[in-house]
Amino acid sequence: MLFLASEPTTPTIAQEILWAILICPLVAWGLIAVYFRKIGPVAGYLAIAGIGAACVLSYVTLFNVMDANGGVAQFTHEWFTAGSLEVNLGVRVDGLTAVMLVVVTTVALLVQIYSQGYMSGDPGYGRYFAHMCLFTTSMLGLVLADNLFQMFIFWELVGLCSYLLIGFWFHKPSAAAAAKKAFIVTRIGDLGLLAAVLLIWNELGSFDVAAIQEWAHDEPDGAIVTLFALGIFAGAAGKSAQFPLHVWLPDAMEGPTPVSALIHAATMVAAGVYLVARFFPVFESSHDAAQVVAWIGAITALIAATIALVQTDFKRVLAYSTVSQLGYMMLALGTFGYVAAIFHLFTHAFFKALLFLGSGSVNHATNTFDMRQMGGLKKHMPWTYWTFLIGSLSLAGIFPLAGFWSKDEILLDAWRHDKALWVIGLSVAFMTAFYMFRAIFLTFHGEYKGGQPVDHHDEDSHFHGDPAHPHESPWVMRGPLVVLSLPAIAAGWLAYDHIFKDFVNGALPEVHAHGSSFEIGIAISSSIVAVAGIGAAYAIYMKKWVSSESIRATFAPLAITFENKYFLDRLYEDVFVVRILQRGWNRLLELNDKYIVDGVVNGTGRVAREASTRLKVVQTGQLQSYGLGVAAGVIILALAVFTANPL
Amino acid sequence: MSIGIEHFLTVGALLFCLGLAIALSKRNAIGVLMGVELMLNAVNLTLITFSRFSVSDTPIAGHTFVVFVLTVAAAEAAVALALAVSVYRNRETVDVDQLNLLRS
Repeated sequence: MLFLASEPTTPTIAQEILWAILICPLVAWGLIAVYFRKIGPVAGYLAIAGIGAACVLSYVTLFNVMDANGGVAQFTHEWFTAGSLEVNLGVRVDGLTAVMLVVVTTVALLVQIYSQGYMSGDPGYGRYFAHMCLFTTSMLGLVLADNLFQMFIFWELVGLCSYLLIGFWFHKPSAAAAAKKAFIVTRIGDLGLLAAVLLIWNELGSFDVAAIQEWAHDEPDGAIVTLFALGIFAGAAGKSAQFPLHVWLPDAMEGPTPVSALIHAATMVAAGVYLVARFFPVFESSHDAAQVVAWIGAITALIAATIALVQTDFKRVLAYSTVSQLGYMMLALGTFGYVAAIFHLFTHAFFKALLFLGSGSVNHATNTFDMRQMGGLKKHMPWTYWTFLIGSLSLAGIFPLAGFWSKDEILLDAWRHDKALWVIGLSVAFMTAFYMFRAIFLTFHGEYKGGQPVDHHDEDSHFHGDPAHPHESPWVMRGPLVVLSLPAIAAGWLAYDHIFKDFVNGALPEVHAHGSSFEIGIAISSSIVAVAGIGAAYAIYMKKWVSSESIRATFAPLAITFENKYFLDRLYEDVFVVRILQRGWNRLLELNDKYIVDGVVNGTGRVAREASTRLKVVQTGQLQSYGLGVAAGVIILALAVFTANPL
Repeated sequence: MSIGIEHFLTVGALLFCLGLAIALSKRNAIGVLMGVELMLNAVNLTLITFSRFSVSDTPIAGHTFVVFVLTVAAAEAAVALALAVSVYRNRETVDVDQLNLLRS
């Protein structure tokens, strides 16, 4: 009944439902922030109620849009007009929006439920849920927006929430620094997005998504189109942690783990991919920009995967894996694999959220994220182990789990577009399988190494259990893991018979021929490398046939490069921030302030003082010298009058 | 040579200059006062001259002015001399260069 491959029509969804999706979490945020910040569990239940309502309505929307084969419905209201600037407030729903709505609300809801357990006892409990609700609202606003201006507002709000939640434990200096880093680095990308917003207003006088898509379609390879596309991509690269702006995402793991799962794995970091997909016709009509997107994506995927190979922090492996997978999505978009990118975003959101929540569960038992202090957790935490294993298999791309299908489509698009990109994609697939199973073998197999002892003097720590005797997490945390493992297994089957493709293609002004299909050769090659990656991890970390130290010694220069994250943090901090900014630009400003600005002020004073020193000799206080002055003045005036009017 | 307006005015101007020179150069306060008196008289002479030689609706105005000036000059002399005596009693000098208490 639903998936007939016919022409998209306009969905019949009522506009009130779309607005309600946006408003439910917003109301929850307001209530928590104003009334229930200090009243423990109420805040959590309110968050679940608000996001749950949005989730239900999102599914209503999804089914409605499915009936319309992914067609577009748009409701626009005038917001304000200033001169020639017309800003509208509206909602737009189509296949792409519906998919995003469902991903965001589903993951957000499960993460809220999980957080009831994970965050219990935290002094910032209410604040946490308020931030989470605001984040969900912003994210939903971003995907529902019908114009670029509105998108930009929610885009920035999303960034703000990310900042607040990374720095949630702001009393930890590392968390405060990570929050600042995330905010500043993404801001660099946002500058590009702002430039694109201004450019499109100057060029088109409208921010409407449909109008921009049409405009780009009419001007293939125009210079303005390319500039606009690159501006959009700069914003997307900041939010989606693409090279060279990816450095903030691994540090963002300082936030609570459910935050990492929701924001820094499943939804917000995918916002960049969503933005590029939303303006896909623009990239389609500018091949230069698309080429940039594809190569940046490929480089990001490769760099992040290699760094993930050597991480010892459980959560950072997942963080670099996220960066790598986002690179995959960008690679797909750059090779015109619109459907593949959205499909991977969709499946990745579920299994990556699952993996992060699993890592949080492990942390709950061991009080650490350091894999060197773990091991053998399989028998203590069977639920966490099995769900984590499902997520990892899905991420590694093992048939028939979700990740297999979406990764396969990306590789297929890369193969058709450029063989070099395909080779990079394939090597990343190998590394993905390797580092995920390295993490599994180190964490869940072998002997338990004791975790991190609880420091009872540390007042910030609110760890309750005993790390020496790890235990399975409570049901409120296990439940979301189990629920998320279902889409991690099954979401990929939507690729069957072009169901997903026809659906999200409805968001584009015309149906494109870029949809992927299945090709057995690509599927077999990617499966082989995935199994090889798992096998290699098994040989090294499970059976220890080859010691990891000897491999490290053999490839020492490479290992050092990976362990130091390609020295990018050092480059940014030591060269850009210290040398160029602090010693160069700031010094220049300091000199300018000292000698030019202060010079003008002090100079004024000095001139007045010098002049008065010279003039003060005139003021003798002696009446007779004044009299002489008066007489001399009179004589001069008289002479002047007589010269001008001779008798 | 007939005596005309020029001669009266020249005498007045010379007297004024002498008075000015004395007022500006004398150190003794009494001397300064004498110079000022001389300047007043020079101006009086000039006023009388213009009154005598000009055609005016009110020829008496010049004379009136002079009488006023004389009166004021007398009063001024009385006050100024009293001040000078008073200063002398306090400072044992009437040298204007040394009366510089207000100087910073």
